[in-house]
Amino acid sequence: MFLLFFMVIPLAEARVYLDINAPTFVQIPIVLPKWKGVNTTPPGLPVKVYEILANDLTLSGFFKVIDFSRLPSPLKEKGGIPTDVSLIEWASAGGEILLAGETAWKPGDQNLKLRFHLFDLVEKKHIVGKQYEGPSQAVRKMVHRMADEVVLQLTGEKGVHNTKIAFASVRGGGKEISISDFDGAEMKQITQNQSINLSPAWSPDGKKIVFTSYLRRNPDLYLIDVDGQNFRRLTSYPGLNAAPAWSPDGKKMAVMMGMEGKADIYLIDANGNNPKKLTTGHGNEASPTWSPDGRQIAFVSDRSGSPQVYIMGSDGSNVRRLTYEGGYNSKPSWSPKGDRIAFCGRVEGRYDILTIGVDGSGLQRLTSNSGSNESPCWSPEGRYIAFSSTRLGGSKIFIMNANGFNQRPLTSAKGGESGPAWSRQLE
Amino acid sequence: MGKKGLAVLVLILCVGLLLTGCPKKTVVKEEPSMRKAEEPVAEREKAAKLEAEKELARIREEEAKKATEKEFEKSLVAKREPGIAGEVFESRLLKDIHFDFDKYDIRPGDTEILKENAALLMKYPKVKIQVEGHCDERGTSEYNLALGERRANAAKKYLLSLGISTDRISSISYGEEKPLDAGHNEEAWSKNRRGHIVILSK
Repeated sequence: MFLLFFMVIPLAEARVYLDINAPTFVQIPIVLPKWKGVNTTPPGLPVKVYEILANDLTLSGFFKVIDFSRLPSPLKEKGGIPTDVSLIEWASAGGEILLAGETAWKPGDQNLKLRFHLFDLVEKKHIVGKQYEGPSQAVRKMVHRMADEVVLQLTGEKGVHNTKIAFASVRGGGKEISISDFDGAEMKQITQNQSINLSPAWSPDGKKIVFTSYLRRNPDLYLIDVDGQNFRRLTSYPGLNAAPAWSPDGKKMAVMMGMEGKADIYLIDANGNNPKKLTTGHGNEASPTWSPDGRQIAFVSDRSGSPQVYIMGSDGSNVRRLTYEGGYNSKPSWSPKGDRIAFCGRVEGRYDILTIGVDGSGLQRLTSNSGSNESPCWSPEGRYIAFSSTRLGGSKIFIMNANGFNQRPLTSAKGGESGPAWSRQLE
Repeated sequence: MGKKGLAVLVLILCVGLLLTGCPKKTVVKEEPSMRKAEEPVAEREKAAKLEAEKELARIREEEAKKATEKEFEKSLVAKREPGIAGEVFESRLLKDIHFDFDKYDIRPGDTEILKENAALLMKYPKVKIQVEGHCDERGTSEYNLALGERRANAAKKYLLSLGISTDRISSISYGEEKPLDAGHNEEAWSKNRRGHIVILSK
């Protein structure tokens, strides 16, 4: 629609400045001088672009942003893109990378232009420069795309700045489904039914949300488009119709259903038909999550006497227990890379987010001493985990790097948020 | 209570009249054979007393039934919630049961509560109910939906075993979504882990 970018200088050699898959890493100090408005750019625009960009880079968890206000005084007011020759004066800024840019617009232009350049301050060289062009209402999206590019250039993997997070949030006496950008901006409430709406899950194409609602005095499954259109009921089997999880190919859903008087895991077609029970026995079975290849499903069962995470084939075969530590392990979420499962476990009387290898090895606790932490879900590339936490009082959605670093709330809401679900990369 | 007391008093007075009235009549009518009639009179008195007592008991029972009927009908409170279809009624006479943390079996003490609820429901065969299973806020909301499903069904099963017909009871799990007490401590949690009955139709 708006995208029109080009490389000013092609990348000579790809160098990874930060291995983000390492268990620990030091954030890259990145210098962000003021942005400059060229031609007749409205004065507020460079400021807005700067703020979104600085926030995106901070939220990524990979950077220590040195913003212009913290620069030595001669550099404070310097804006725009430096020449290679003038690069030397930025050495005193205290960073390894310099990210500089400008916005351009003049009356009569349909689109505005954003351009940035990335410099290596240690080796005093230019890394990359790109320009983006689009209508002014798409400025946020354009900056997110830019931030993704910066992440890609410095870490070798694309960022998640054009993804969204769906969650349930308390409204009046009920809960509604809301969606916000990865940075918490652009929050939109997509249901308006005053009911209890829970457990949103994205369709693999990123266009629809499936969730549970009590609209007809039964926990049924409903579908809605991400723009809030086409709200319709999907299933209304007796008892629970809850915790839906779309199969990676979009053809089926794994659902927690209560047709037989207790919760079991069922497979249904994406149109809600042909329920097929996958779990057997007398336990409570809950919270299915698919392996990225669609061959296996992890879920919760209390068949051993306490809720624990299990894995089975997507046809219900070969059930094996995954978690043994602790008396309460629930709400698993399979990582997009397929190697780990995040879940909520009770540790020392509190609920925390943990991850474990799919072979049961390498248990890691990611939260501690910070309220009750529940419902983890992975970002599409697997670098972040969103979850709900009561550490600030009411339940809020938080985001952290997959190693537990950089935990921060998604929105500035007071609370009442639960059950996050992360979209794929949206274009 | 006052009305009931008054009715009993009137009845006692009537019985008293009956008892004192009878001998008077016999005295007047059968004066010559008074001695001989003494025994039958005593027996008749006994029978009449017995009869009166039975009547009294019957009336009392009826009164009590009417009183509970009225009490039950009076106790019904209509409840409408935006976003949840239909109107239901709640009655303080249908008492909640409670559960231990992460458990769904009926506590031994709570079987009496379910028996009382069932006895009341037996008197109103038209009443259809829904048993709601609720949980406290601890643990994940999805697992709590499963737990609530189990709690609602445990209570439903018990009521069925007491003779309430299956077409009169449905169940629903609200998990941790409708706490009675918004507190974050054991006092609130123990109130929130409950089986609650609502009336879908009277």
